[in-house]
Amino acid sequence: MSNFFWADLGTTLFNSAVLSMSVFIFASGLALILGILKILNFAHGALFAVGAYLVYSIVEWMGGAADLMQLVAAVAVSGLVLAGIGLAADTVIFRRIRDIDYHYSLIATYALLLFTEGLIKVIWGVDFKSVASPPEVEGSLIAGGVVMPWLSVFAVATGVLTFIGLEYMLNRTNLGKLMQSVAVDPWMSNALGINVPRIYTLIVVVSFALAGVAGGLLAPTTALTPGMGIGLSLYAFGALVVGGMGNIRGTFLASIALCTLDTFASSYLDLTPGIAFFLAIALILTMRPTGLTRGVGL
Amino acid sequence: MMRISLSSLAIGLAVLALMLALPAIANQGVVFFAAVTYIYIVFAFSWNLMFGYTGMASFGHGAFFAIGAYCGGVLVMKLPELHFLLVLLLAGFLGLAVGLVVGFVVRKSSGVYFAILTIALAQLVFLFVSSSSYLGRDDGYSGIMPPVVNLGVGKLDLSNGNNYYYFILGITILTTAALWRLVHGPIGRRLRSIQQDSQRAEFLGVNVAGYRILSFSLAGMVAAIMGALYAPYLRIATPEFAYFVFSAQPVLYTMLGGMHSFWGPAVGGIIFGMLTYLTRTLSGFSEIITGFTLLVVVLALPTGILGIRSLLKHARRSGERGKTQ
Repeated sequence: MSNFFWADLGTTLFNSAVLSMSVFIFASGLALILGILKILNFAHGALFAVGAYLVYSIVEWMGGAADLMQLVAAVAVSGLVLAGIGLAADTVIFRRIRDIDYHYSLIATYALLLFTEGLIKVIWGVDFKSVASPPEVEGSLIAGGVVMPWLSVFAVATGVLTFIGLEYMLNRTNLGKLMQSVAVDPWMSNALGINVPRIYTLIVVVSFALAGVAGGLLAPTTALTPGMGIGLSLYAFGALVVGGMGNIRGTFLASIALCTLDTFASSYLDLTPGIAFFLAIALILTMRPTGLTRGVGL
Repeated sequence: MMRISLSSLAIGLAVLALMLALPAIANQGVVFFAAVTYIYIVFAFSWNLMFGYTGMASFGHGAFFAIGAYCGGVLVMKLPELHFLLVLLLAGFLGLAVGLVVGFVVRKSSGVYFAILTIALAQLVFLFVSSSSYLGRDDGYSGIMPPVVNLGVGKLDLSNGNNYYYFILGITILTTAALWRLVHGPIGRRLRSIQQDSQRAEFLGVNVAGYRILSFSLAGMVAAIMGALYAPYLRIATPEFAYFVFSAQPVLYTMLGGMHSFWGPAVGGIIFGMLTYLTRTLSGFSEIITGFTLLVVVLALPTGILGIRSLLKHARRSGERGKTQ
């Protein structure tokens, strides 16, 4: 009996890790734009879907069954393409909505979401598509009675690597420090000679690229539909608010806490997945209308 | 005393005549589409009560529409002898009650936090209705039959001919009139003061939190009534009503038509409705066109289509001033 208990607990913990890291990978790009430009990008979910579809097309073009290296290459290409789209979107949209009332910026990014979803439907159609998982990550790792598909282990590892990479970039590199100073006080940064508009453009480009990479990496784990990013983006919004509006470390911890709570509630209390997650957010925002942290900086 | 100019009276009468004559001049598809658009427009009016008049941009307003739709659907099916007008009213009260609770929860929240909080709460409603087996899970509560309404002078079977169209027209006009009275009265002025500067309003003695709750719950009530009116017409209530995408519909209408005018959402709704109708067979293109239109509006005309008028007036006035000086 106790064996079952531990195996069950192990499985639930593993599922929590998979969900948390999927949400975090998704939320990291959103967090950058939110933390520095103070814009909540509703379109991130659609960009995520574009990333996944691009990987699908590249894999199809390469013959349908990619090995791990080819998949990684396809993900890199999709990240680059999204970076290009980000540059265009910055010129046409984000540059114009930086200094206007946040209602309008929310609505503008919502419009971008609709536009991108429509584009996906026109290019790839509305039918389900799927990306086969590479042969290297097929099968499962079995430890202590817990079955962990290699693909999910791969997703968790990617999430942790994304976190470490972003933390390193923001805290240990010159560019990251510039970004932080712009996030805290754009006016003062400008006065000190930092090219603030260029940092803004860079943030949009990096955030779009992260959406593409996230969509590409998670593509083998789900069915591809034009609205595939919406569900994850609702989770990510929650993690962002609780984690402090663009704080990468906070978002990482909030993703883990909220997703673990949700996974445990759905496997032990038989709640529909998501209920515990959104209930927790509503409770937190009721008690602290501006989230748990002060919300400045990354 | 409100003055109603001759030209707006003429426009109103012309629109009313067109709406009354529509079943005689258009095919069934257009009539159905028009009735749905009327409901969506009043739904958008209720959203604009929060946004244009009180300054709160909810991204989860569809939850109230869903609450009304499910409540109306269940009541019509389980208690067929209940008068349909009473069903609408009960659905409205359920929306009002939920709105009071949620309004209390969100009263202090603003900006992005408010947006995400309303999304989270709507998502709870979505998850609840899509996992309840009594309400039909993901497939929705289906097979709702349009009821027979006893009007005192006679019985109106809503499943017959164009009866339901006229019933929707009547209810939406009544609700619109009530909303118009509300926002043009003392309550509307107080709400507007909160929208313009909530700190100053508070300082002048307006109970800001109280009026925010009032605006939120009245908007919830109207949305729920519209949901209850809609479900038997469509013969189904689906979880989609509570979904984030559906909640954006009123945002679209309002931004397109103009948030600072009472009739803005109606203008936006008509234009958006026609765009959707014309592109309905082109999967994907309708989103592209809608998204593109909305982007152009937000980037180039943030005051909406009705806002152009005041912009032009302003330009003309400053032009005249330039001439006289």
